Amino acid sequence: MVKFRPAFFSLFLLVVVPIMLQSSGILPFDYRLEELENGLKVVSIPQPDQPEVISYYTIVRSGSRNEIEPGKSGFAHFFEHMMFKGTKNVSIEEYTNFIIQLGAGTNGYTTDDYTCYYVVFAGRENLEEVVRLQADKFINLYYDEEMLKTEASVIEGEYYASVSNPSRRIYELLRDTAFEKHSYKHTTLGYLRDIMDMPNQFKYSKLYRTRFYAPDNAILLVVGDFDHDQLMKLVQKHYGGWEKSNYELVTPEEPPQTKAKRAHYDFPTRTLPRIAIGFHGPAYSEEKIDKAALDLLAEIAFSRSSSIYQRLVIEEQKCLSLDTSFYNRRDAHLLIFDAVVKQEKDLPYVEKEIFKEIEKFKKEPVSEELLSDVKSNLKYSFINDLDTTDHIAGELAFYINLATDPGTVNKLFDLYEKVTPEDIQNMTKKYFKKTNSTVATLAGGKAK
Amino acid sequence: MRKNIKYSLLGILSLGLALTIVSCAMKNPDKLASELVPVEGNPLASFRVLLDVGSANDPAGKEGLCQLTLSLLAGGGSKSLTFKEIQKKFYPMAASVGLRVDKEMSVFRGTVHVDNLEKYYDIFKGMLLEPGFREEDFKRIKTNQLNFLERTLVSNRDEQFGKEILNLMMYEGHPYGHHQSGTVETLKNLTLDDIKAFYKEQFVQGNITIGLAGGYPSDFPAKVMQDFSSLPEGHTTQLSLPEQRMPSGLEIVIAEKKTPATAMSMGFPVSISKADDDYFALWIAVAHFGEHRQHLSLLFQKIREERGQNYGDYAYADHFIQGSKKFPGQNFCRQQQYFSIWIRPLANSNRHFVLRQTLRELKKLVEEGIPEERFELARTYLLNYTKLYAQTLSEILGWKIDSKYYGYKDFLAEVQRRLPRITHQDVNSAIKKYLNFENLYIALITDDAESLKNDIIANAPSPITYANPNMPEKILEEDKIIQVFPLDVKPEKVTIAPAADFFQKAGVPKSN
Repeated sequence: MVKFRPAFFSLFLLVVVPIMLQSSGILPFDYRLEELENGLKVVSIPQPDQPEVISYYTIVRSGSRNEIEPGKSGFAHFFEHMMFKGTKNVSIEEYTNFIIQLGAGTNGYTTDDYTCYYVVFAGRENLEEVVRLQADKFINLYYDEEMLKTEASVIEGEYYASVSNPSRRIYELLRDTAFEKHSYKHTTLGYLRDIMDMPNQFKYSKLYRTRFYAPDNAILLVVGDFDHDQLMKLVQKHYGGWEKSNYELVTPEEPPQTKAKRAHYDFPTRTLPRIAIGFHGPAYSEEKIDKAALDLLAEIAFSRSSSIYQRLVIEEQKCLSLDTSFYNRRDAHLLIFDAVVKQEKDLPYVEKEIFKEIEKFKKEPVSEELLSDVKSNLKYSFINDLDTTDHIAGELAFYINLATDPGTVNKLFDLYEKVTPEDIQNMTKKYFKKTNSTVATLAGGKAK
Repeated sequence: MRKNIKYSLLGILSLGLALTIVSCAMKNPDKLASELVPVEGNPLASFRVLLDVGSANDPAGKEGLCQLTLSLLAGGGSKSLTFKEIQKKFYPMAASVGLRVDKEMSVFRGTVHVDNLEKYYDIFKGMLLEPGFREEDFKRIKTNQLNFLERTLVSNRDEQFGKEILNLMMYEGHPYGHHQSGTVETLKNLTLDDIKAFYKEQFVQGNITIGLAGGYPSDFPAKVMQDFSSLPEGHTTQLSLPEQRMPSGLEIVIAEKKTPATAMSMGFPVSISKADDDYFALWIAVAHFGEHRQHLSLLFQKIREERGQNYGDYAYADHFIQGSKKFPGQNFCRQQQYFSIWIRPLANSNRHFVLRQTLRELKKLVEEGIPEERFELARTYLLNYTKLYAQTLSEILGWKIDSKYYGYKDFLAEVQRRLPRITHQDVNSAIKKYLNFENLYIALITDDAESLKNDIIANAPSPITYANPNMPEKILEEDKIIQVFPLDVKPEKVTIAPAADFFQKAGVPKSN
C-alpha cells in the first residue's frame, strides 16, 4: 500500500489547505485532497500498479439543479456541449487532433447536480499535455454566437435520439408533476420548448459560465499511473490563474407536498405500459440516518430478491420489471418505484400492490437476516466496480460532487452498518405518506 | 471483515502485475476448451462460458430457439433451486449471470468477489449443467422475448430497430437473417420440449470454452473443467454459410411510424474479417470515416459538428451494435461480416438531405481515398485507443477468446505489430477493394414514408435551414451541392411497411 507523506511537507507552497491523507473504510486505496488558493480542489489517487492508464476527470457543480430561471431547463447539459468548442489559444482542431492522437476515451455527461468531463488515456508521459489543454479549455473557452446556434441544433438531435424511449417520457412526467418549484422539476435534457429556444441564449450562456465554470465550483479527480507531486506541480502551473466566481447558488425551496398527485402520458406508438410512483425524500447525507435507511429499504422492499418482485415479476408475471431509484442528490429529491407492466389493465393492480407493500414495512420491522443481506449486496456492488482506473473515477465522481472528500463513501458505508430495522420502519412512516406521493402512468397508443 | 476486504481489494488494481495467460494448445474437437487468465492476488474472478452456437443455429421454423433456450438457463431455475431461490442466494454477493446471444456464438458471463467464488460457482454450475426447465420459467421468459420483439424493439428503440432492419435486408434467407429473438410467429410455437432438445443437442463439450480470469485458487480451473466434463462429448460442425447477397443498387426499406425523428442505418456485406491481413488497412479507413463516438469520425464532423443535424454519425468495418458503449464488445465473432453506417435520429425535415450527404461522403471516400494526414491520424489513434480495449478481467478474457477465433495469439498485440507497417497506399487500396457507394442496403424509420419515397425517387431538391443565420459560406456552398446530389433509386427498390409489422414473420414485411 502506498503511504503518502504528510501534505504539509509539500513542496508546492502555493497549494494550500491539505485536507486528507488516507482512507479508512470501504475504499481500498489512499487518496489525497488538496485545494488551490483559487478554490480548485484536487483529488489524487495514484495507482502505480495499474500500468499505463490515467483517468482525468473534471467535475463541475453544474446540473439541472443550477437551472433556476424559467426557460433555462437543459442549460447545464447544453453548456457541456459548448465546452468542446476550443479556445483562442488552442483551436478546437488542435485540441481534437491531440485527443485523437492520444487515443483517449473522452466525453462529458451532465446529471442533476454536476457535469463531468473525462479523458482516459494511456501513458504518464502524456499527463502534462492533458493538464495543460484541460486547464486551457476551462479557463479560456471561446465560442461565438454562430457556434452556439449550431450546437443548439445538436441538442435538438439528442432529444430526437431519445424520443422513442417511453422510460424517459414517464420520468419527465413524474418529475414535472411531483416538483412545484425546485429545479429538479425538469430533467437534464430539459423541456423541448427550452431546447428550441437555446439558439437565442448566447448572452445567458456567458452569464452561466461566469457563475458556474469557476475553480471554486470545480474538482479535479485523477486516478491511475502518475506521481502525485508531479500532478500537483502541473495543476498549480496551469490552473493557478483561473479566477474564482464566488457565486452562491440558491435553489428554489420546494414546498411540502400536501396532497397526492397523478398524471398520465399517452405514448404515440404501441409500448408496454409503465407506472412510476415518487415520494419526496431527503437529500444526501453522510451523517443523518434518513437517507441511508431509505437506501436499504429500497433494496429490501423492491430488489430482485424482494417478495413483491418475486410475486409480480416471477410468479404472477404481471410485470416485466420492478425497480427503485432513491437518488443521492445535493437537495431533496424523489424516492421512485417504477414498473414496466405487461398489460394495461394491470396498472391499477400493480399500483395497489406497491402501496400495500410500503404499508407492510410501516407495520413490521424487517428481519435482521434480510438487512444483513442488503448490507452485503451494497458493499459488494460498490467494491466489485472498482476494477479499473476509469471505474474508480466514475464511481467516485458522483460522491465527490456530493461531498468533495471521497472519504464520504467510507462514512456512508459506516452509516449503512448502523441502520437498524427500527430506523427503516421509522423512515418508512416518515416519508411514505399518500399525501407525499405522485403517480405517473404511461400507456401506448395504437401502432401505426 | 471490512479491513480484510480492503486489503484484498488492492489486487483489483494490479492486473498488470502477475498476469499470466494459459490456454489449451491442442484440443479434441469433441471436448471442452479453456482460456485461463490467472491474476494472483486479484480479489475478483470473472467467468465467460462461451458456446460456439448462436441464432444462426436455430432450426428452420424455430427461429428464436437458441436465445430462448439460453435465456432459460441464465434466467431460470436449476434442478435443485428455483429461480427465486437463486436470486435470493445471489443477492448478498451482488452477483448474477449475464447472457448475450449472437449469430454464431453465445456467452454466459459473471464476475464475483473471490470471497464468494465457491458459493457463486456452485449455483452457476447448476444453472448451466442441470437446468430446471420449469414450465413457469419457460412461460415468463418466452413472454418477455415476445414483448421485446413486438413492443420494445419496434416502438422504443429506433436506433437499434434501424440496425436490425439492416440485418433483415442483408441476410434475407440466410442463417443470419432473423433477429436472435426470432419472429413472433416462430416464437409463439416454441415449446419446452423444443428447448430441451436444443439444449441436449448443442450443450455438448466441444461447443464450450470455459473462460476464467482473476484471483481464483490455482486448483479451481481443474474443478470447473471436471464439472463441465459431465456434459456429453461432441460438437456442432461450424455452419456452412451461403454467399452473402450484395445489394443491387440502393435498396431501401422504410419502417413507418408516428415519430418526429428519422433513424438511419445502411451498409453491405464485406468479404473480410479481423482474420484477414487487409482488415487492418480497412479498419484505419473506417476509423477515419466514422469511428464510434469519437471526434475522429469524418461523418461526425460533417453532419454533427459542422451542421448540428443530430447527436452522432458513425461507421463500422465489422459487426458493432453496442450503441452507448465506449469500446467494442467481445465474443461477437462471425464467419461473415458487414460494413455499416449509423446515422443517429434527426429531424424528419432534414432526412433526405442527410441521406444524400452520407452517401456523397461515402462516394468521396471510395473515389478519393483518405488524405495522407488523416491516414496518419487514424492510425496513431487506433494504436493508442486499442490500449484501452482490455481493462477489466472480463474484457481481457473476451479478447483472449476472440483472438483465438480469428487465429491470433493476442489480437490487441497484433494491432500494435501490424498497424505501424500499414501504408497510406494499403488503406486506399482496401477502400477500393471492399467499399462501394452504389450498392447499399438502407434502413430508415420515419413518418410519412410515401413522401420521402417520392422525394428520393424524383431526386427532388432537399434544402435545409439552420438555427444559425450566419452559417459559414463554405458550408452553404457545399449544401447547394448536397441538396441536389443525385441518388439512383428505382421505385421497385423501395419497400414501405408499418413498423409494427416487422419481426412478425421472417424477412422484411411486404410493401403496403
